[in-house]
Amino acid sequence: MTRIKRGYIARKRRTQIRLFTSSFRGAHSRLTRTISQQKIKALVSANRDRDRKKRGFRGLWIHRINAIIGKNKKKQYNRYSNLLYNMYKGQLLLNRKIVAQMGILKGNCLLMIANEIIT
Amino acid sequence: MKMVNAFNMKRAAAGLRRINLDGLRWRVFDAKGQILGRLASQIATVVQGKDKPTYTPNRDDGDMCIVLNAKDVCVTGRKLTDKVYYWHTGQVLCLKHFSLNIDIMVYRYVGHLKERTFKDQMAKDPTEVIRKAVLRMLPRNKLRDDRDRKLRIFPGSEHPFGDRPLEPYVMPPRSVREMRPRERRAMVRAQKKAEQQQQNTDGTKKGKKREAPEESA
Repeated sequence: MTRIKRGYIARKRRTQIRLFTSSFRGAHSRLTRTISQQKIKALVSANRDRDRKKRGFRGLWIHRINAIIGKNKKKQYNRYSNLLYNMYKGQLLLNRKIVAQMGILKGNCLLMIANEIIT
Repeated sequence: MKMVNAFNMKRAAAGLRRINLDGLRWRVFDAKGQILGRLASQIATVVQGKDKPTYTPNRDDGDMCIVLNAKDVCVTGRKLTDKVYYWHTGQVLCLKHFSLNIDIMVYRYVGHLKERTFKDQMAKDPTEVIRKAVLRMLPRNKLRDDRDRKLRIFPGSEHPFGDRPLEPYVMPPRSVREMRPRERRAMVRAQKKAEQQQQNTDGTKKGKKREAPEESA
């Protein structure tokens, strides 16, 4: 067989990966082998965390709702759990994101609704 | 953890420039008669900003917390004598010298495990007690030092922040459990003793004093 060099095929492939990894820190954007590894890790993290992001934000909304509901000292059971229970009972189909945003922007509205609902 | 030797009013008021936002409230906690841990957990939630609807975990948005009367903070059980604060001093470095087939290990800066009881710590610096309690309740992340800077603790009721808009913090209602039978009996006995002593002092005070030297002689 005649001798065939690979030429610059490998280099072409790696420059694409290098572009992706160009903003990484230290050796992770400079050394060829680590660049390939880091790209894989980054894409794996991104994929996994797209689902984690949804969980994270839901927890944050719940936390915020709890914080503002707890300030209403009129009712005895002023907690997130009670608010949600009564919302489901009263068939109020607001999701946590909207309720949390209401709590930030129009806190009084949320407290009015909570006073009506929570027994 | 460095142990401050005494309370310094200047140090308690310093470092305000480092705190960025001043849309923050100044909450005042009165530690008089409060139980250490329960007070500390409330302070920790306020300092983190967890009671605000705009809480964000990557941003420090807690209110400034001023704690007064730190020397009057209470503790249940036998913690006054039995609670011990431990810390370790000294750096242990070992060097191995491979010379003439002998390896020598040298430890430098030998320190020890130091300890101090709750009572001694209160005598030395009562603010450290509350500060440790709160700091150990905060999450160990990069915001912990900033949150520490928002905590101002004073042993008495005087503080240099009189001109700020202060808001007193009302502790949430707490259900105290009823006393254990042994404690209750001890309390009843102590009460009876106090009553008897009062009766004795009301009766003959001078007479008793004259009797005592006669008995010894």
